[in-house]
Amino acid sequence: MALKNIFLNIAGYSIELIPQTLPIEIETGYKYFVTGKINKPDITIQCFEGIPEGLFTDSKAVFEAENDDQKFYSIYENKDSLGFVIYNQQNKTEIQQVAFLSADFKHWKIYSAATPQGRLVPLSFPMGPIVMQYLTIKNDAVMIHASCVYDGEKGRVFTGFSGNGKSTMSQIWASDGDLIINDDRLIIKKEGNDFFVHNTPMYYPDIPKKAPLSSIYLISHAPENRIAKITGAVAVSRVLAFCIQNNFNEYIINNNLEFISGVCAKTPVSDLGFVPDRSVIDFVLNYEDK
Amino acid sequence: MTSLAEIVNLKKNFVTRVVGDELIIVPLTGNVAQMNALFTLNETGKFIWENIHDAQTFDNLLNSLVSEFDIDSESAQRDLNAFLDKLGSTLKK
Repeated sequence: MALKNIFLNIAGYSIELIPQTLPIEIETGYKYFVTGKINKPDITIQCFEGIPEGLFTDSKAVFEAENDDQKFYSIYENKDSLGFVIYNQQNKTEIQQVAFLSADFKHWKIYSAATPQGRLVPLSFPMGPIVMQYLTIKNDAVMIHASCVYDGEKGRVFTGFSGNGKSTMSQIWASDGDLIINDDRLIIKKEGNDFFVHNTPMYYPDIPKKAPLSSIYLISHAPENRIAKITGAVAVSRVLAFCIQNNFNEYIINNNLEFISGVCAKTPVSDLGFVPDRSVIDFVLNYEDK
Repeated sequence: MTSLAEIVNLKKNFVTRVVGDELIIVPLTGNVAQMNALFTLNETGKFIWENIHDAQTFDNLLNSLVSEFDIDSESAQRDLNAFLDKLGSTLKK
């Protein structure tokens, strides 16, 4: 079977997937982000078969992404690269993939076991989101857990803890005619002097979408709609807390701090307690008009 | 009370950024659980943070604080003690 490279365009960044020995395939959500051949991609991903053993003996373990229920990945660091061990989300004792990222964050090598059909799926969850997260670090962007709706003029971002109503909020605005950019994971990116919000591939099909970033709301459920503007260091720290980040090194933290400081200097940030019905739309629009 | 020497040592595990008169403090961390443990300091807290270093003594820091913010020594000492206690326990989390 001929080995074909796959090119993706995610949030305006170009990615080239390069098979080495077996053909590669991408999950459904990525298919809408496939683009034609790009001569100078922002990042390349070489895709290898098999999980190499005995790795990271010269590396230091620097980060564990796990919670009480799941272990997602571990990160190792040496002078030349970062190493990632990705765990099977159904069985956390089993390694799903191993990956290496060059020191300039531009070149990945991803090792995966072949599917029964003899193919590799290099961007299987959570490898795909990790690639996107590290793509943002040196490229004037950040990934954030948030929803965003677009009314054709303004892009409103709603962020908060799980269960605080990000999806509920986006559905309320969508029922009023807004376009949902995404309701879970976004890339905020600086383009020229302005900030824009992009969706990223999910596990379900969706086309690439983009909106200008007009406002950020830190949301929570409340007995009545209420709002308060937040500024300065508090705004930066509150927004930063919902960004997807691996804070094991100073460079990554400084990069995120600088980017979010830029976002908050230009974009109004507010605490929004809301009642989950249409009344919140009029409430927000009225607040923005003041 | 957390000593200044302890705080000097703990400070190495944090990255800071000045925003206006305030300071954001983000922990260097090896796991997801601590990633949201960032916090901010107001102008006075920022001044104290920036003036805690290897050669610093409590008395010198107190004098700097009194001089910078034009407050009486007794109140400053009480507030500085309380602040260092809280800062120490926050940084140790």
